[in-house]
Amino acid sequence: MAGHGQLLSPCKNLEEDLVLFHYGELPAPEHFSLEQHLSGCANCTAYLKDLSALMPLTIKADDPPETFWLDYNRELRHKIDSTRDKSWWPVNFGAFFQPRLLTAFGAIAVIAVALTLTLGKGVWQDRDLPREDEALMEVLPMAEDFDFFKTMDVLDNLDVLEFMASPEGAA
Amino acid sequence: MRAGDEELVAAAQQGNQQAFEELVERHKQKAYHIAFDFCRDREDAKDLSQEAFLKAFVNLKKFDGRSSFYTWFYRILVNLCLDYKRRLKRSPADSFDETLENQMEPSHEPNRPRSPDQQVLAGQISRKVDAALQALPAKQRTAFLLKNHQGLSIKEIAELMQTAEGTVKVHLHRAVTALRHSLAEFV
Repeated sequence: MAGHGQLLSPCKNLEEDLVLFHYGELPAPEHFSLEQHLSGCANCTAYLKDLSALMPLTIKADDPPETFWLDYNRELRHKIDSTRDKSWWPVNFGAFFQPRLLTAFGAIAVIAVALTLTLGKGVWQDRDLPREDEALMEVLPMAEDFDFFKTMDVLDNLDVLEFMASPEGAA
Repeated sequence: MRAGDEELVAAAQQGNQQAFEELVERHKQKAYHIAFDFCRDREDAKDLSQEAFLKAFVNLKKFDGRSSFYTWFYRILVNLCLDYKRRLKRSPADSFDETLENQMEPSHEPNRPRSPDQQVLAGQISRKVDAALQALPAKQRTAFLLKNHQGLSIKEIAELMQTAEGTVKVHLHRAVTALRHSLAEFV
């Protein structure tokens, strides 16, 4: 490498084609016409020469030993296994919350509620009592209480005594 | 007869782990070298390429075969490499200088005897090249590395970068021009 650092400028309109030419990516017609141009243009030829000298410098070779690849496989298998162990629960659980399934679950829930209300109506009504019966049921325990009637008798007797004490009663 | 990538992908999608391991076996070296081109560090390249395989494994059921497995997988890898570069820029602790030091280790160089002068020159070139590559915008660097280092076609690069072939050509041209100027002293 000379190291003089002097760069010759190629023809501006051909610079991109020269790069593609260097990498063998220039289509046939352009390739042919560029070759013709190169035979008479020192700057473009020098540009291609620069690319041939400089671009390989940017490549850094790295060839790891065989043990590296053994470790590589082992580590990757371990990573995959641990990912699979970790991921099965959230994945399965998350499946319930997929939009399509959520809609289906919602529809099932609405149908279940509707059926329960419709079919269960008769059963619940038999258990419910009319208002009059409800009042009777409240009074019944009191009616069974004998003391209540006793008290009522005493009150009746008081009325009779009061009547007898009055002038009308005396007459 | 050797199964194609598509057949292996189909088997792996059905839960056949051996099929996926075969895919790894086929692509691991290239994946590693692409990652190494981006990060220039052996351990990081290993982690990045493994992460790409892991992502591919997790998302394999989503792979619909519209592109080849090769394109799909290397797109994952390149995106991870670009993320790595972005992370590196954000954290000065893992600066590029550190990576440069790592790459100077003899283990990363092919085993061939060099005179002290040659070693100094190689070190200078290496530092300069890395700085020049680092200075390139992400898209230019990606197009350049995939073309110059991996020898991918413009069409393949366009598919990987999900852009037009013309755009790749422009990125490549700009990258090459910038590198030529940065490395002019070695001409």
